[in-house]
Amino acid sequence: MRRTFSWFYLAIAFGFIYLPVGALVLFSFQEGGLPVPPFNGPSLKWYGEILSDRDVTSALFHSLLVAIGSSVIAVTLGFFAAYGLARYVLPGSAFIRALLVAPLTVSYLIVGLGLLIVLTNTGVGLSLITASIGHVVINLPLAFAIIYASMGAQHENAERAARDLGANETQVILLVTAPMLSPAIAAAFFLSITLSWDEFIIAFLLTRFDITLPVEIWSMLRSGLSPSLNAIGSVVFLISVAVLLLLEFTVLRRQK
Amino acid sequence: MTASLSIISLSHWFGSFKALNDINLEIEAGEYVALLGPSGCGKTTLLSVLGGFIKPTTGQIKIGSEDMTYVRPAKRPTTTMFQDYALFPHMSLRDNVSFGPRMAGIPSRERYRLADEKLDLVGLKADGSKRPHELSGGQRQRVALARALAVEPQVLLLDEPLGALDLKLRRAMQDELKDIQSQLGTTFVHVTHDQEEAMAIADRIVVMNAGRIEDVGVPSRVYREPATLFTADFMGEMNHIGLRIENSKVLTSFGLTNFLNLPDGAGKLCFRPEALRIDGQGHFLGEARLQDVTFFGTYTRARFASTDAPDQILVAHLPPTHILKTGTVFKIHVENNAFCYFPDNIEN
Repeated sequence: MRRTFSWFYLAIAFGFIYLPVGALVLFSFQEGGLPVPPFNGPSLKWYGEILSDRDVTSALFHSLLVAIGSSVIAVTLGFFAAYGLARYVLPGSAFIRALLVAPLTVSYLIVGLGLLIVLTNTGVGLSLITASIGHVVINLPLAFAIIYASMGAQHENAERAARDLGANETQVILLVTAPMLSPAIAAAFFLSITLSWDEFIIAFLLTRFDITLPVEIWSMLRSGLSPSLNAIGSVVFLISVAVLLLLEFTVLRRQK
Repeated sequence: MTASLSIISLSHWFGSFKALNDINLEIEAGEYVALLGPSGCGKTTLLSVLGGFIKPTTGQIKIGSEDMTYVRPAKRPTTTMFQDYALFPHMSLRDNVSFGPRMAGIPSRERYRLADEKLDLVGLKADGSKRPHELSGGQRQRVALARALAVEPQVLLLDEPLGALDLKLRRAMQDELKDIQSQLGTTFVHVTHDQEEAMAIADRIVVMNAGRIEDVGVPSRVYREPATLFTADFMGEMNHIGLRIENSKVLTSFGLTNFLNLPDGAGKLCFRPEALRIDGQGHFLGEARLQDVTFFGTYTRARFASTDAPDQILVAHLPPTHILKTGTVFKIHVENNAFCYFPDNIEN
């Protein structure tokens, strides 16, 4: 009895999480013009449609560009911040740490608005670069926190040994510190990518002519529901899952 | 490659804590020196100063004839072997060992040859492509040694290198370290808190306490004729007998003793447990009752209480063949020349 209930509970929980995604994916294969029951298909015609739509494919490409570019910058900055704070005694380092992590608690809307105000006042035009800056702002605290947490004292002795054996600071970082922390660095990188990949508000506020995929989806939504949106959503979901699996099989496996 | 080492009037403060207090020490080229002391005595700080990881507050370090006090670790002819080995987990053993030569700009074929040579020296030639996590503690220890030796240092600094190993492995590694040291002729400075380890491997022992050097000498001298009461107790178990001398008469808790010739005053008479005899040889000390006996394999540890002053306990290491009955009163003798005397009121 109790066992049946556990399974029932599990099914409900997973259903709650995955039913929306399941419905989205299912109706992307809809034959007709509306993503609503009854389901008739399957058909790949909407996938064909979006892949031949220049706006969608360029938005997809822009999203990848912003995700990878902003993640590289966020992880690089986060790594150096973590290295500095973990290895050197700085005045007010607890305060600096808090200041670095604090943006995590600020809503994306506020971050986006703040950046928008700053950028319009300084006369910098909105573009994919400004959207990337916004994504660096939200991903840097996370990258810093992940990398900082994995910098232990055992790594510090290896760095001392490297210096003792003749390595200069650049060599210590490139040959010893970064490779030793590669699981944490990769985790921070992939997490940044997934967060940037489907981020909407900041991208919406900080882009103008070239837009990212979530913004493109939003603008398509204004002309009503269509199975092509489901198809785009499925592609976005597929890429997120792929990144997650990559993370699971490379980084998390290596740590065991 | 080897060099002598001079430590001149060295002091170091951590904030208001004086970790090293006026250290003066000469270490000869090719010598194996053990820095011995309890935790917090400053031995690791001294090693860090020698390695260049800590800049001393005052004083000077010379290696050979060159002043090295403020030279950074990489530029010194020293290499440090860290307590936790500090191997690079993402590199193979061969890459670990050839890291130093690589930093020196030696081309890869030459440095791999060098790495294989050093791995061979520590008996790990076949494991060059393994990663550190595949090794046991003792093997990691050897890799750390090979890596430190690959840069051919003049002075090798070892920070409690055997602390993490079990007893049997530790004894085996002691012999190996000693062999490698005499083979290479490099000066070794070895930090440890284990006095048996220090005696087993070192040519000379430097006993440290509270940031100061208590005693320096060859193991047998430091053990048998310690310079201070601290050294006497730290090097092994010691019997203490409080005594007072008035008008050249020596008064102990065993009564009057006449075989000592000491200046007036009060002090402690010390001797090792193995110097205590119950077979009538040596100087007669007094009578004592056997309290308990513990069997230790190579010896029997017996505790006696003086019949006149039951608070005065003496410990003896007797041959294990003796079968003794507790409660029996024995005549206690102590071997000739086994006594050390430390007067009170002097900093000991």
